Amino acid sequence: MRMRLAMVLSIAILISSYATRALAHGEAADEPFLKDLTVAYYDVHVTPTQVKVGDPVTITGSVKILETWPYTLDPPQTAYITPVVPGPCFALTERLINGESSPGSIFVDKGGIYQFKMVMLARNPGHWHVHPGIAIQGTGTLLGPGEWVTVDPSGQPFKLDVTLLNGKTVDLEHFGGAFVWWWSLAGFIIGLIWMLYWTVPKRTVTRLAVTMQLPVNDDAPDIGLITPRDHMWMDLLAGITVLMLIVGWVYMAAKYPVRLPQQTVRFAPDPISPGDGLIAVHPKGSTFDEKTDTLVINFQVKNNGASPVSLKQYIMAMTTFVDGDKQEMAAAGPSEYVGQLAVDPDGPIAPGASRDITLKMTNEVFLQERLIPLHDPQQLIAGLLRFQDAQGKENLVTLKSVLVPTEFQPQYLP
Amino acid sequence: MASTPATMAPAERQRRLELRELLNAKYQFIDRTWDAVFWITAIFIVAGAADITKLLFAGDWDFWTDWKDPQWWPVVTAFATIIIPSALQWIQWVAWRFPTGATYTCTCLFLATWIGRYFQWHIAETYPMNFVWPISTVPAAIILDWLLMRTRSFVVTSLFGGAIWAIMVWSFNYIPLAPFLQPVPFMHHIMTVSDVQGIAYIRSQTPEYLRHIERGALRSFLGETQYVSLLFGGTMAMIGYWVGQAIGRFLAVWPIGRYIKTL
Repeated sequence: MRMRLAMVLSIAILISSYATRALAHGEAADEPFLKDLTVAYYDVHVTPTQVKVGDPVTITGSVKILETWPYTLDPPQTAYITPVVPGPCFALTERLINGESSPGSIFVDKGGIYQFKMVMLARNPGHWHVHPGIAIQGTGTLLGPGEWVTVDPSGQPFKLDVTLLNGKTVDLEHFGGAFVWWWSLAGFIIGLIWMLYWTVPKRTVTRLAVTMQLPVNDDAPDIGLITPRDHMWMDLLAGITVLMLIVGWVYMAAKYPVRLPQQTVRFAPDPISPGDGLIAVHPKGSTFDEKTDTLVINFQVKNNGASPVSLKQYIMAMTTFVDGDKQEMAAAGPSEYVGQLAVDPDGPIAPGASRDITLKMTNEVFLQERLIPLHDPQQLIAGLLRFQDAQGKENLVTLKSVLVPTEFQPQYLP
Repeated sequence: MASTPATMAPAERQRRLELRELLNAKYQFIDRTWDAVFWITAIFIVAGAADITKLLFAGDWDFWTDWKDPQWWPVVTAFATIIIPSALQWIQWVAWRFPTGATYTCTCLFLATWIGRYFQWHIAETYPMNFVWPISTVPAAIILDWLLMRTRSFVVTSLFGGAIWAIMVWSFNYIPLAPFLQPVPFMHHIMTVSDVQGIAYIRSQTPEYLRHIERGALRSFLGETQYVSLLFGGTMAMIGYWVGQAIGRFLAVWPIGRYIKTL
């Protein structure tokens, strides 16, 4: 027996010593269609990436709810744009959506673009993976690209001061906590006295021999089950409980005379245009080579506008592929989620011209983030084509495409 | 209702005298240690049952200050928290004629939830305790037990006790909640302190829209949402009381009785 116990303990210690701490969010667990067909994030930045406790960290970027939203999900109506971090290691202090302050949820539509800016204060020391996310009612939280942020201790405990409407400043880290505890404890102590009264001087288990022989509504004062003395003490404890409630209520009403019900702020942010809509695209299929992590997308584009346009980026879920140099790639978002885009043929598309274009992207992120549907009921991908003219005017065009893997890998499990 | 000794038949009086002796009898093997073992070991089972029931039915309403709203909180928590106290009230009253079932359950629950909140949510998850404090149902339980002791009737206890339970649970916990309902300007809006806690302390997988703030049309009752909810909460607590009675009578006591008869 001792040997077995020692073995079990040894195995448990061995396993736990190898367990590493989870610092990210399991974003790869979401199915590809949940990422590709729902939303696309772009221009996401988390700055700075090295701070001390109490310092601000800002997340900026945009998310578009794609017109290709899967019919298998509830249509997007209510959403909440939030930092996605491991617990409250940061404290959110400001959130702007399309330029409007947004403490709560927002109403959204398919095709809507939501520019966000969220300011957080670093709260817990550590190395944290910080994402933006958009939680959509009926669907869940859809993650954007993440950036690692290191929070160093500052030597001072974290404080989150807010100024009440009456002008008093309070630290949310501790405000009201002591009163909650002592108030709850006072109620508990009365309950404890109640329990001790019945269980310490009186016997418990052996009373069953008596109660079994009596009707259930007979408290038998003559036998001694519940005596007039018991009634007196219980009346006293019940009275103290009610008195405590009355005193507490009077104290509360005097100390906090102004109280509001919880507030909820919801609005539809001002719309942001995806462009003039004069660029038309038509998908012509796509392929994915699992061996080389290469995605190839074919489509036809027609420029119905008055000025030439060039394709600058392809944005899929939380990734951005850039037809440009290192500087342009750095500006596109967190480096783990940005890749090189090869456009063939490259160059501006003249007004009125049509062109067949092939996009080629080779990157480990496709499989790491599980972006490609390889064993799903629907082999579809979607993303945003980001066109730009000479004046810098942008057009975001959604492209949905059937995906055909070049070959399927053998598999042992369904 | 028991007859008074003066109006009892002599045989009944004799029987009750024997029961009195039985109550005070000294047992060689069943001493006070067994009582202590029972009460202490039951803490874990009772606290677990009460906590699971509360988590199942009340969930987030008992976790965050910004969920303790005027409309749903009084309804949901009143129903969720009375079930197991009612079951224990039946068991402890029938078995030992102790008016302690609700108080015992709620004191056990108090210990379990505070330990859980402190170690899991404050130490491990680092949420401030003033954001994740649990409600206390102990005062409501005292009144529920007192009512049973005074009336000796589960029907009367359910009718009055259910309503009193809803009022007591809400009013006792509204007092420490009050500081968190003070208005504060935040993000260019007027919010309560509890709302600010809910926004600032990030819950990535608990988006704001999951809260049930301003759902339904209770404001059409002259804006007195709180009192309509409390009334409904009282009704729900009466139902919850009988759910607990069913658990106590049919899932706890009845199988034990069946087992004893087979011996």
